[in-house]
Amino acid sequence: MRSHDNIQPSKFWLRFFRWFCRAEYKEDIEGDLLERFEANAENHGVQKAKRLFKKDVLKLFRPSIIRKLEGNQKLNYYGMFKHNLLVSYRNFLRYKSAFLINLIGLSSGLACTLLIYLWVTDELSVDKFHKLDDQLYQVMLHHEESGTLNTQEDTQAILAEALEQEVPEIEIGLQATPSFWFGKMPLTTSEKTIKASGRFAGKRYFELFTFPLIYGSATSALENKESIAISESLATSLFGDPGKAMGQNIKWQVLEFSRELQVSGVFEDVPANSTEEFNFVLPFDIFADILGEGKHWGNYNALTYVKLTKGTDVDQLNEKLAPFVKEKAPKSNVTPFVRPYSDKYLYSNYENGVQSGGRIEYVRLFSIISIFILMIACINFMNLSTAKASRRTKEIGVKKAIGARREALIWQYLEEAFLMTFISILVALVLVVLILPQFNVITGKQIAFQFSSNLLILLFAILVITGLIAGSYPALYLSGFKVTTILKGKIKNSLGELWVRKGLVVFQFTLSVVLIAAVLVVSKQIEFVQNKNIGYNKENLILFANEGKVTENLDVFFDQLKNTPGVINAGGTQHTIISGGSYTTDVHWPEKNEAVQTRFGNMTVTYDFIETLGVDIIEGRSFSRELTTDISKLIINQEAVKVMGFTNPIGQTVRLWGKDMQIIGVVKDFNFSSLHEPITPMFFKLEDQRMMNILVRIEPGQERSTIDRISKLYKEYNAGFDFNYTFLDQDYAIQYAAEGRVATLSKYFGGIAIIISCLGIFGLAAFTAERRSKEIGVRKALGASNSNIVRLLSVDFNQMIVLAILIALPLSYFLLKSWLDEFAYHIDLEIWHFLLAGLAALVIAWLTVGLQTFKAARANPVKSLRSE
Amino acid sequence: MGKHNLGEFEEIVLLTVAILHGEAYGVAIIDEMESRLGRSVSIGALQTVLRRLEDKGFLTSEFGEATKVRGGKRKRFFTVTSLGKTTLREAKEQRLSLWKAIPEIALND
Repeated sequence: MRSHDNIQPSKFWLRFFRWFCRAEYKEDIEGDLLERFEANAENHGVQKAKRLFKKDVLKLFRPSIIRKLEGNQKLNYYGMFKHNLLVSYRNFLRYKSAFLINLIGLSSGLACTLLIYLWVTDELSVDKFHKLDDQLYQVMLHHEESGTLNTQEDTQAILAEALEQEVPEIEIGLQATPSFWFGKMPLTTSEKTIKASGRFAGKRYFELFTFPLIYGSATSALENKESIAISESLATSLFGDPGKAMGQNIKWQVLEFSRELQVSGVFEDVPANSTEEFNFVLPFDIFADILGEGKHWGNYNALTYVKLTKGTDVDQLNEKLAPFVKEKAPKSNVTPFVRPYSDKYLYSNYENGVQSGGRIEYVRLFSIISIFILMIACINFMNLSTAKASRRTKEIGVKKAIGARREALIWQYLEEAFLMTFISILVALVLVVLILPQFNVITGKQIAFQFSSNLLILLFAILVITGLIAGSYPALYLSGFKVTTILKGKIKNSLGELWVRKGLVVFQFTLSVVLIAAVLVVSKQIEFVQNKNIGYNKENLILFANEGKVTENLDVFFDQLKNTPGVINAGGTQHTIISGGSYTTDVHWPEKNEAVQTRFGNMTVTYDFIETLGVDIIEGRSFSRELTTDISKLIINQEAVKVMGFTNPIGQTVRLWGKDMQIIGVVKDFNFSSLHEPITPMFFKLEDQRMMNILVRIEPGQERSTIDRISKLYKEYNAGFDFNYTFLDQDYAIQYAAEGRVATLSKYFGGIAIIISCLGIFGLAAFTAERRSKEIGVRKALGASNSNIVRLLSVDFNQMIVLAILIALPLSYFLLKSWLDEFAYHIDLEIWHFLLAGLAALVIAWLTVGLQTFKAARANPVKSLRSE
Repeated sequence: MGKHNLGEFEEIVLLTVAILHGEAYGVAIIDEMESRLGRSVSIGALQTVLRRLEDKGFLTSEFGEATKVRGGKRKRFFTVTSLGKTTLREAKEQRLSLWKAIPEIALND
């Protein structure tokens, strides 16, 4: 047989054969095919040979010859996958310290991220659970005062009805009172009295706000004036069983008002993620009766909620609403507008009529922190794995020499990163479950950990992103080594690689320094707000509600109260003192520009209240029992003096609610509403009726026994009532608890970020010391001292950290300045905040690096030099 | 009776491999069968049976040296294993015992 170079079988059929045939049969069968073809070509001619060749190939196309559908490649991938896992596992075992550093860093970083995610989703869910959420809006008012806009949620009680009737876009208009206005009100059944918080609301309240009703219907629960809807838990405590509650009689009272009511609905307890927390709802008509003639366009005594028709353009509606009140009451200074009800919680701040953040700032702050922390943890992983690369060069070299392609190596390192991330996620989940109860205490939330599809998606996304970020650099870097250089042991860290690693450390520490500075300033600011000189001593002041028989015998009660041992003074007020009270713009004075409206805080008080609160009177005098005419006198604050432009305020006459009132005294400015807002003008007005709150100043040191005595006195009047009191300073703390929580949280997260960063440089330092152990040994043998060695090893780190501080300081300055500018009262940024942050980072870094280098420097050089 | 029953075609292939003794590869087997039995066999049919016999352990195979012909592809030479030989012998004895059992008269026409 001779070979015929020019005679070839059909390429197509040959290729087809090669494609379908099993790899292990390919060679010899192809040889047989060609041999037959050559023989046929010789005997029968090329044409026939080609035909026979085709026939042979087609006859070979049978199950035992065709390769398996899944092919050998997949098997091979699986094998590689298994092999990679094994190699990763061995690596973890071999370099336990690096593995632990990575695991601790990544898993604590991930745990932080998960906790922040849970917190953020909880924050975002507040008030979102109402079925009509997308149509549910709240009407707010911009008050035009002395040239700026002041935005308030209190509206006229008659606004809701007018809106519903006159504005077609508004399907339902509903008025309600906030649940905090009346505190806890006593509810009495034939058997017992329980105090609970409640609100007044319009008839269609449960249609608009879909708190599910267990008994009764949403349309009829508040239908007539004798109805009351109560929560499931209140029904249980009043009647033993919510099922028995319907139709039962309840006597409700507050101040001198009381009503006999019948339970007309039982609703499920208000969930924790509602901004309004209440246990019962009364028909608004009862409140309207109490207001009596107080319902007009100049009085702000209700909240207004509306349901918009579907597809309403809110911007257009707001434009249309703007002149609504001014058309009714030409002298009014208010512009109404609507905003989504569920924005109340996160977007509560307005500055001169423009929305300017609120709690959403904290949501953003923490989201950024969580990303920072995760990034720091990823950088640790990247740095450690590239730093350790030199130890794995042999592995890479051998693999490459055997024929591993670069992609295979990239996959191997990515797989290792993914495996690491996956283990970390598992550890992080365990951590989250363990930490969550404590986290709930700190945040004041009731977050439950449960797997939702969103959480799983998030976890998967974190796995992929973290795995890619953490694994990409080592994978690309390590797989790029050249075989020959590796195996010759000539691998030198390139300058570029060193730069990347240093750059990452600098970046990491920059983030840490920014976080330290931020934590420092945020907590200082929050402390400042809480301890700001509010104008009086808030310690040892207790506050309780004026209720029951006390209301009827107020003067006698006060006399007895003041004679109780341990009580220094006592007074009553309509005001809540800490969270604000009523306002009026109906104040007129001779030089007043009537075109400009000014809002005055109205603090209606009894005798001795000013003394009890302890506000300084800087001019004139306080209210006096000796002078019965004091009922038509006013005491104002410094801000009011400034606004009215009096040089000598005492004896001046102003018109309040159409009556001439004489100013008899000026008090130093003090805080009587939110600490976030600047102090506004206000006046004290004397009255001896209708005091909602009683304020008592007691002697320090014997609070317990004094309160017991006050409680006894109170029960002489109100048998069967619980004596509920609060300390004013605690109320303050609760009022600003949100900020306090943010401060605590940011401290924790900042701390964790720093710990993770330190873990990273700890690992790097340990590694450097180890790699240079021979060098250290030689240097020591030649007479270098311990301190020389320490300096040698830490100089690199010092440079990086100093550079990081230099970058971080201006960055944090600008970030924090813009954050602080949002507060009416804020601390000034001082140089020491930043110096301290920088110094803290430096010291922490030194400690971690120093520990390692010192250990390395102290090691006996014989040990490192002996073995070669 | 042996455990492994051979099919008719399997037996012929096995016998042909034995005939070629060390020179048995795809095309050679086909040619041998064609010349001795006048039976034309496709590569596909033959290869299927060869692999099956190899799986059953009656045959082993190894590659020969590469040559210039056949596009440089190596030949795969098959040899009968001892199990294969035993099975062949058993098959032959079965047939012989059957032949012997036939009364002489039955085959005379």
